[in-house]
Amino acid sequence: MPETLTIDAIQQWLNRFASEITTQADWLTELDSAIGDADHGTNMVRGTAAVVAKLDDRSTKTVQELLKAVGMTLVSTVGGASGSLYGTFFLEMGRNSPSSAQLDASELENALRAGVNGVIARGHAAVGDKTMIDALEPAVTVLSQSLADGRQLHGSIAAAAAAATTGRDSTEPLVARKGRASYLGDRSAGHIDPGAASATILVAALAASVGEGKAR
Amino acid sequence: MIGIVLVSHSEALANAAMELALQMVHGTQPPIRIAAGAAGGFGTDATAIASAIDDLATTDGVLVITDLGSAILSASLALEIRASTHQVVISDGPFVEATTAAVVGAAAGSSLADITAETSNALSAKKTQTVTAPDASGGDDTAPGSPAASAEERLINPMGLHARPASLLVQTAGEFSADVELTNTTAGRGPVNACSVIGLLSLAASRNDRIRIDANGPDASQAVNAVKQLVLQGFGELS
Repeated sequence: MPETLTIDAIQQWLNRFASEITTQADWLTELDSAIGDADHGTNMVRGTAAVVAKLDDRSTKTVQELLKAVGMTLVSTVGGASGSLYGTFFLEMGRNSPSSAQLDASELENALRAGVNGVIARGHAAVGDKTMIDALEPAVTVLSQSLADGRQLHGSIAAAAAAATTGRDSTEPLVARKGRASYLGDRSAGHIDPGAASATILVAALAASVGEGKAR
Repeated sequence: MIGIVLVSHSEALANAAMELALQMVHGTQPPIRIAAGAAGGFGTDATAIASAIDDLATTDGVLVITDLGSAILSASLALEIRASTHQVVISDGPFVEATTAAVVGAAAGSSLADITAETSNALSAKKTQTVTAPDASGGDDTAPGSPAASAEERLINPMGLHARPASLLVQTAGEFSADVELTNTTAGRGPVNACSVIGLLSLAASRNDRIRIDANGPDASQAVNAVKQLVLQGFGELS
């Protein structure tokens, strides 16, 4: 029973994230065209493609190095707030990961929590502000609860992904209080936040990758 | 001299703001770097900001001036991923006004702390001109104690005390150790510190307004005289 996440599994996670982003790019851009500058899909495709290229060189030997490299790649290729926020997420995850070739369940939990806290600190956003935090925060909270309840990693990550989806959908009626969408005021209500949508894809990709590891 | 990094979503905007600000400098220009746009489009890139900051590592500190929202976010990430360790401050001033104040202040040799405060106040100067506020800034400590030297002159240059004369005045006042203050006695605005371009602009002094120059310190009378000459010569704007 794989209760650890190896470097290979993390690479699978990121490859899956990249391919899901590509599949959903038009939808992400459509969401962003309602309340932003209509480039979230394009920007994320560019960033995750650069991550995939980076993973191909297989030069990183520890989880820490790998996640830091992913963070820097996203910062320099996605651009704008999304690049800095996703970059911060992976840089903080890396900073709080062991310099070994795998993460056990509690190390993964710590790293994800640190990543989300980093995004919160960087963007000064909280749940309810209509940002990626509305998906990420409930996801890590549910992950922690589930692990504390004695559930296994696979089931706990699946529960986290479900919480991210619920959080994402909860952004639809909200009025944006952060980022450029906040200039729209009440007109920002009635649309799912594009950042919460891509963040949900990120957590769902992790759940799928951990699920595959379990089946093996 | 401090260095300045302009962070904008648009490279054209950053270049234009820089050119506008440099109109006010007639000597050594401060080192300025632009980190604008991301991946060939609009946006901000924390790695580009970090290398712009690193590029200015030999200055007396760096002031980062930003435009919209994510510019601040990217700049704060840049502070973490940069290679250099010299002092860097992210200004909370509005882009164009803060850029102008910073460029003038840097050229006059002001410290990073002073310029930071100056750019931070840049919005209040604008407010005093759009809202009818009789008192501009620092009006509280005007109480008695007559200055060591004073003079009062009428502005004769057509545009009054606009940005270019104000920057000339900052440079001149900065050459003396005396504290120099200006008051627009016609409009009842001031006194403001003559070393603050934003303060001077907040006087909203137009042609024919009377300006009182007060100075305190060892070279007070020389300072008053130098500023007075500038006013009498119309800041070199009379053809």
